[in-house]
Amino acid sequence: MLALEHVTKRFGGLTAVRDVSLTVEAGDLLGIIGPNGAGKTTLFNVIAGYYRPEEGRVRFDGQDVTGRPAHAISRLGLTRTFQIVKPFGNLSVLDNVMIGALTRLPGTREARAEAERVIGVCGLASHAAARARALPLGLRKRLEVARALATRPRLLLLDEVMAGLNPTELGGMIDLVRRLHADGLTLIVIEHVMAAMMSLARRIVMLHHGERLAEGTPREIVSDRRVIDAYLGEEFVLADA
Amino acid sequence: MGVLRERAGAVAFFAAAAAAPLLVRDNFFLDSLVLILMWGALSAAWNVAGGYAGQVSIGHASFFGIGAYAAALVSTRFDQSPWIGMLAGVVVSIAAGAVIGYLSNRLKGPYFALATIAFSQVLLILASRWRGFTSGSEGIPVPYRPGLWTLGLGHFAWAYVALAVAVLFYLVEVWLERSRFGYQLAGVREDEDAAEALGIASRRLKVVAVTLSAALTSVCGTLWAQYIGFVDPFYVFSVDLSIRFALNAIIGGLGSALGPFLGSLLITSLETALRAQFSGVKTGFTGIYLIIYGVVLILVVRFVPEGLTGLAARLRARAARA
Repeated sequence: MLALEHVTKRFGGLTAVRDVSLTVEAGDLLGIIGPNGAGKTTLFNVIAGYYRPEEGRVRFDGQDVTGRPAHAISRLGLTRTFQIVKPFGNLSVLDNVMIGALTRLPGTREARAEAERVIGVCGLASHAAARARALPLGLRKRLEVARALATRPRLLLLDEVMAGLNPTELGGMIDLVRRLHADGLTLIVIEHVMAAMMSLARRIVMLHHGERLAEGTPREIVSDRRVIDAYLGEEFVLADA
Repeated sequence: MGVLRERAGAVAFFAAAAAAPLLVRDNFFLDSLVLILMWGALSAAWNVAGGYAGQVSIGHASFFGIGAYAAALVSTRFDQSPWIGMLAGVVVSIAAGAVIGYLSNRLKGPYFALATIAFSQVLLILASRWRGFTSGSEGIPVPYRPGLWTLGLGHFAWAYVALAVAVLFYLVEVWLERSRFGYQLAGVREDEDAAEALGIASRRLKVVAVTLSAALTSVCGTLWAQYIGFVDPFYVFSVDLSIRFALNAIIGGLGSALGPFLGSLLITSLETALRAQFSGVKTGFTGIYLIIYGVVLILVVRFVPEGLTGLAARLRARAARA
């Protein structure tokens, strides 16, 4: 479904992503981990059309989408969320999600109905009329997911939607992602919360200094020496054991 | 319910404007009414770009001037109806609006605002120096030829022309609040990156919104020039005028449909009343309405930053609680 071929993204002298290749098949749930500054979000920005890579190609459903504008890529069915949430702050939760739904449904009535459905799926129904900027972070993260879902993506990129959540919210979010995946959505998930990654991801790719350091099942990843040294640390191994 | 009541305010406003000329046949009063409606319509046009699309322009006099000049030139140089001139003005304004819209994709916030000022000043220089065609800084007197086709109308008829334009522009704003285009534009205004992620071509949408705003402004420019009967480049392309469009909308309530008209009602009637009060009394007082204008703005920004429509909503909420 998605294929990155030798993608490199530089900012001046800094290479944020270096020669990264990976493929995602339909139905996959790929996790991306790595320390801060490893290039995870930059990789999302390249895939979703926010950055044009200096080298390499991005293919979605066999089409070369490298360098296409973000909105065009989103319309093909590849939608992302933002690590630093970007709600339409002055609008209601319902209007936020409706704007996402209007991408596929030209009629405002149909889009509103679809938005209400998605809001229900994401557990935001009781906040539909609230102003987006008035929501606490946990709900704003949910709104971020709801808005993206309303565009009916086939591949959804989630950028740290679990960061900063309390344990209850975290459980709810893991649940939501699992349900979406079970319903047939393909996902790539960037996350620092390893417990969530372990239970959700089928495969995990580890980025370090912009390079692909390791790839494998969650089990393989947590026992990989390079991953432990660069990211997890000895304590994680002890705790996990 | 809130939506219904807001529309009720608009219905009351426009109904009062429609009834007033039938009840009061005084020319000074009718002149004030025409100005309130026309400045309101102009601020509504500005609101399409500045309020709904979030592209705050301080150069909208560009399009006003283009509309004013187009009609004046078409009727004086080519002896055609000002309606044809209005059409020509709209065509030129659409082109100019597309340029400004393109700039909005390159420059953000204050830089965009400055660029729009520069744009209007370039047009001012063009109009005031191109003597052979525009009569330069002398301006162009618009000949009065009675009739609707030549837009030579009395105060009474003008009140209804201005009302028709005001209602039309109000409906454009309502459309922006309810349509797919309007929702997507609100998304672009709130966060362009997020809008892009949802499949919205944010750059194109902004260009369309600014161009629409320019075309509407141009229509009013034409009407204003025909109403006043004179086109002065230093007035029609002035920054003062651009600021007036913005201020009426900000005072009334940014991005609300009725706001620009309420802002215009307050400011225009205050201005007309004060000017009538102080003109001829003492020459030293001729500029006093500008001071009042400033004071009103400060009061609004300090106490009701969301504008008059926001104040109305706040009072309603308080009444509901009591």
